[in-house]
Amino acid sequence: MKAGGHSMKERKENMKGKKVVSLVMAGAMTAALLAGCGSSASKSTSAGNDAKAASSGSTASAAGNGSVEEFNLYATGSDNVRAIFETLTEDFNNNSEYAGKYKCNLTFMLSGTGAASMTDGLVAAYKANQKDSGYDLVDLSGDDLSKVVSQIGEEAFVKLDKSKIPNASGVEAKSSVAADYVQPYRGTTVVLAYDSDKVTDVPKTWDDLTNWIKANPGRFAYNQPGTGGAGDSFARTSVYNYLPEEAFTSDDPSWEDKWDEGFDYLKDIHSSMYKSGGAVVYPAKNQGTLDLLNQGEIDMCPNWADMVLSQRKSGQIKDSIKIAQITDKPLTGSLQSLAMPTFGAHQDAAYAFINYMLSEEAQQTMVTEMAAIPLIDTSKLDMSGFEDLENLDTTNFRIQSIGALSTDFNERWDNDIATLG
Amino acid sequence: MSKAAKQKIVAYAMVLPAFLIVMLTVAYPIVNSIILSFKDEKTGKFTLDNYAYFFTTPNQLKNILYTLFVVLVTVALAIVIAYLLALYLRFNHSRIAKWIGNLYLLPRFVPAMCAVYAMITIIRDSGLINRVGAAFGQDWKLGLMYHASGLIVMNLWFNIPFATMMIAAGLGAIPDSIIEAARDVGAGRMKVFRAMILPLSVKDVVIAATFVYMSNVGSFTTPYLMGGNAPKMLGIALFDQFNKYLDYNRSAALSVIMFLLCAVSAVVYIRTNLKDREWEA
Repeated sequence: MKAGGHSMKERKENMKGKKVVSLVMAGAMTAALLAGCGSSASKSTSAGNDAKAASSGSTASAAGNGSVEEFNLYATGSDNVRAIFETLTEDFNNNSEYAGKYKCNLTFMLSGTGAASMTDGLVAAYKANQKDSGYDLVDLSGDDLSKVVSQIGEEAFVKLDKSKIPNASGVEAKSSVAADYVQPYRGTTVVLAYDSDKVTDVPKTWDDLTNWIKANPGRFAYNQPGTGGAGDSFARTSVYNYLPEEAFTSDDPSWEDKWDEGFDYLKDIHSSMYKSGGAVVYPAKNQGTLDLLNQGEIDMCPNWADMVLSQRKSGQIKDSIKIAQITDKPLTGSLQSLAMPTFGAHQDAAYAFINYMLSEEAQQTMVTEMAAIPLIDTSKLDMSGFEDLENLDTTNFRIQSIGALSTDFNERWDNDIATLG
Repeated sequence: MSKAAKQKIVAYAMVLPAFLIVMLTVAYPIVNSIILSFKDEKTGKFTLDNYAYFFTTPNQLKNILYTLFVVLVTVALAIVIAYLLALYLRFNHSRIAKWIGNLYLLPRFVPAMCAVYAMITIIRDSGLINRVGAAFGQDWKLGLMYHASGLIVMNLWFNIPFATMMIAAGLGAIPDSIIEAARDVGAGRMKVFRAMILPLSVKDVVIAATFVYMSNVGSFTTPYLMGGNAPKMLGIALFDQFNKYLDYNRSAALSVIMFLLCAVSAVVYIRTNLKDREWEA
């Protein structure tokens, strides 16, 4: 009995100890969180200050003591996008016609590194009724744009006055969502990448492609959906070809019931896909299929136009690899756009930057540095090395955004297609 | 305050940071995962569905069996090869043995990602081996990529040096005098091995096996880059649940399942160590 009582007491003490521990833990976690926020905030402002310090010297010499209107540009993406934005904002601040008049402070969020994305930030700022949120100008992909618009509506952005963007007059590409509120400035799309030494009869329609795949078993591969945008695009386009066009930009779960026919198509072509070790294999990541293509293990795969062309330019993949788009049911692409949230400020400066992004110099930089599809007349640009881009029509870009349905889509693909063996 | 009390406080203060870190990064997430794994995704109520899913869905059950298959074959091959290598290093005193003794740990210093990509460029159907074959007019397609055999080859590359190191340390502790004594009374090579070396080193072999087993149950990089689409290793299945399907409750359940799979070898490990104590006592 005594021993029992003792252990009860001990247990109580343990409980107390646990409480203390959990308190300490909670304290430590809050401290860590605060420290994390603090350091990232101070980092970004100090980066801003550095940029300020660096450019203020040159602007002072260029424009005397005239006041410089500063504005914030928010952008997100992978590292090559960061590099291009740094180049362009520096050029805008120091060398463009706007140098000394406007100054762009870039805040770049590397995709996949932060818990909250830029779109979350925008939605939060809007819902919190912020007036001067610092989001003066934002860079949005097609996916991000439809995500934001579906949450806070297109009126969250300033309706663009095209007269303030003279360079946009020759731009035909239009965003599929909120077209009057955003200005597209570059595009990229998933295309068919193929080895021109081996493929002479390049498929032009989706039926051609299906026939080609079946006539050349083992020579086509698409990467596992969920591991890269090219495989996502191929699998989803395959399925959504059987659905009305409106389903392409809808996140209504009722469309899920109509996927069957499309998945049957994917099952049908399954046995003609790339094989290794006796079984069909869908490699992981966009680079996975591109490597197979480069090694000659396959002759064709869906991939991002910019990825293929910039790797070809740098010599990472063979020169014989070329790109082509399917004309009747193109693989999906994306237009990158700039928009001014109503809860930001400095509109004149933002207009100036949008106009700059559609200038020949800026478009040329984007072509050369990232193989982006330019949206202005390509005859004004030096396209050597990127001639393939000229054939991609940005006016009928097929844009897909199925929102949260993509999660179910990937799960169904994993269960229905990956397991076919 | 007495000196003893002060000493106690100092001692606790020194342990405290490590204790807090373990609590925060190990104990708390484990408890959290276990709680999460018994909750329904939508209602948050108690349920066993998250576990049932992994044992009743044919694809998921296949993933578990596939993982066990890859891991157990890896353990068996790695331990046999490592044991032979360790024996060679311990009892052969040639210059070659010395060189191997110096070099065999080198793979441990190659970053996993580089090693996997290096292996891929060699064994893939269009890789180095295929090209060597092509020079002689042959078309060797190994079929190792995206296949269990490729994963096992890669696992061996990582685990043989590690297992050899552990077993070699154990063999090194066997004094030459014991073996010489056995030889003196007329024991042959096999007899010395069976009666002396094997019993004295079996504990290290078991421990090495448990380590190899544990480190492979949750492996990710190798199966992610070299594995097929289905069935997949549990590390990838977990990644799918967590990152692709955003199903945190099932992710938690799968984490617990993997934890239990590892716990099997932890039990073996602890028992092996305890047996040793009994023997000492």
